[in-house]
Amino acid sequence: MNRRVYLDHNASTQVHPEVVAAMLPYFGERFGNASSVHSFGREAREGLEIAREQIADFLRVGKEEVAFTSGGTESDNLAIKGVAGTRGAGHIITSEIEHHAVLRTCQFLESQGFAVTYLPVDSDGLVVPDAVRSAIRPDTILITIMHANSEVGTIQPAEAIGRIARERGIPFHVDAVQTFGKIPIDLEAFGIDLLSFSSHKIYGPKGVAGLYIRKGIKMVSVQHGGEHERRRRAGTENVSGIVGFGKAVEIRSREMDTEAVRLTALRNRFWDGVRARVPEVRLNGHPTRRLPGTLNMCFRHVESESIVLGLDLKGVGVSAGSACTSGNVEPSYVLVAMGVPLDWAMGSVRATLGRENTDEDIDYVLAVLPPLVERIRKLSPAAVS
Amino acid sequence: MNYSETLIDHFRNPRNAGMMRDPDGVGEDTFDGCGDLARFYLRVVDGRVDDVRFQTYGCGPTIAASSAGSELAAGRAVSDLLSLSEQDVIAAVGGLPDERLHAAQIVAGAIRAAARDFLSRRSAPSGMKQHV
Repeated sequence: MNRRVYLDHNASTQVHPEVVAAMLPYFGERFGNASSVHSFGREAREGLEIAREQIADFLRVGKEEVAFTSGGTESDNLAIKGVAGTRGAGHIITSEIEHHAVLRTCQFLESQGFAVTYLPVDSDGLVVPDAVRSAIRPDTILITIMHANSEVGTIQPAEAIGRIARERGIPFHVDAVQTFGKIPIDLEAFGIDLLSFSSHKIYGPKGVAGLYIRKGIKMVSVQHGGEHERRRRAGTENVSGIVGFGKAVEIRSREMDTEAVRLTALRNRFWDGVRARVPEVRLNGHPTRRLPGTLNMCFRHVESESIVLGLDLKGVGVSAGSACTSGNVEPSYVLVAMGVPLDWAMGSVRATLGRENTDEDIDYVLAVLPPLVERIRKLSPAAVS
Repeated sequence: MNYSETLIDHFRNPRNAGMMRDPDGVGEDTFDGCGDLARFYLRVVDGRVDDVRFQTYGCGPTIAASSAGSELAAGRAVSDLLSLSEQDVIAAVGGLPDERLHAAQIVAGAIRAAARDFLSRRSAPSGMKQHV
């Protein structure tokens, strides 16, 4: 039996045992609907509000500024459509490398008559703040720029962009799904008005996320129904999930700083080991301004899915930069936006480390990855000729 | 994605991988959708494939299908290879998911192209290398 090494933490994480323990009562005796007035409902409501407080404390914001949703995608939709809905028309600024939850929401709004500017990024994946300033129009109603990209991990200059947004009085939304609980986010210093964040990226359960909505920001609701979440998000709250989310955040608040240092060192050792052993490999993303556990590499003359399969057969879970759908493989739009040449971009592999990864895990991957790349390259006509 | 044991075996231990010097027939096929490429080389004796080699750039299924396709070609009459189908390759590799059918498509296409190349060389005027 191979060793099993999970290196796909930007996709999802294993729920922390303390989180599971915190959730269990809410499947049992505390099963009530948080909107019910009886004691069963009040017990559920109590769990919900403790979680809201845990998250508000972590973000250093008011409890009433935190709304729960079903996932990062819903949070992004609510933030962008929520602001757009109050204006009816206008201009939105975003970047070319946003998550599809933002990109496709913006594209939908374009189809409804809104104008959208998709800012390019530099070769490290950074949005240039001056480009944000230049893109602002008199009718700009929202700036939405992610905090860090899930594929390459580059951390955007949120503070500089937020300062520009604040100077011009434009709401600033940040998709922080990949950074929340991993690196510090100072909402005040960054000038952030809306922040999307998710549970399952930080050892909480799937199906629960949040949106910070700064007091005074005008929004319309996107999902209509009951008066949950201060009328901002209708639908019975996922109480057990939210309780787990709160617990996950509480754990991150005590582990985040030391874990960021440990994962950065482990990631750097991984990269140093790969480039010492494998020729024709390049790092994607900013060399230092990057998520602690994220390592995105391109192996020239190799298609990324063959590495993903080869590593999978060795018990190692990583993700491919290019995705094959119905036989149509597109290189990652993020790498394309960063100007990575096509023959490199097709061989991109993302390894994202997390709390259970050890030095021994990296040693194991460094033992199995180089011969795999060499073997696949030997098959490739491009590498031979 | 779930792949058959046969496919995994071919991916792990590809048969007949590599290039061939001075082949009697060579052919390749690509899939525009993803840039996958398969190239097959044939050595022919008495109208039959005496040796076959392949080079492939692509995902795991394309590598595995190339290996399985090479086994299909080995020992066969070259004229038979002209009708080698995508289905033949799919069966030889133990099945392919719908999203990976292109693997069999380019492997069958490359083997047919290599067979056509051999036959066109044989029918070409003198001066070309003949192995039959």
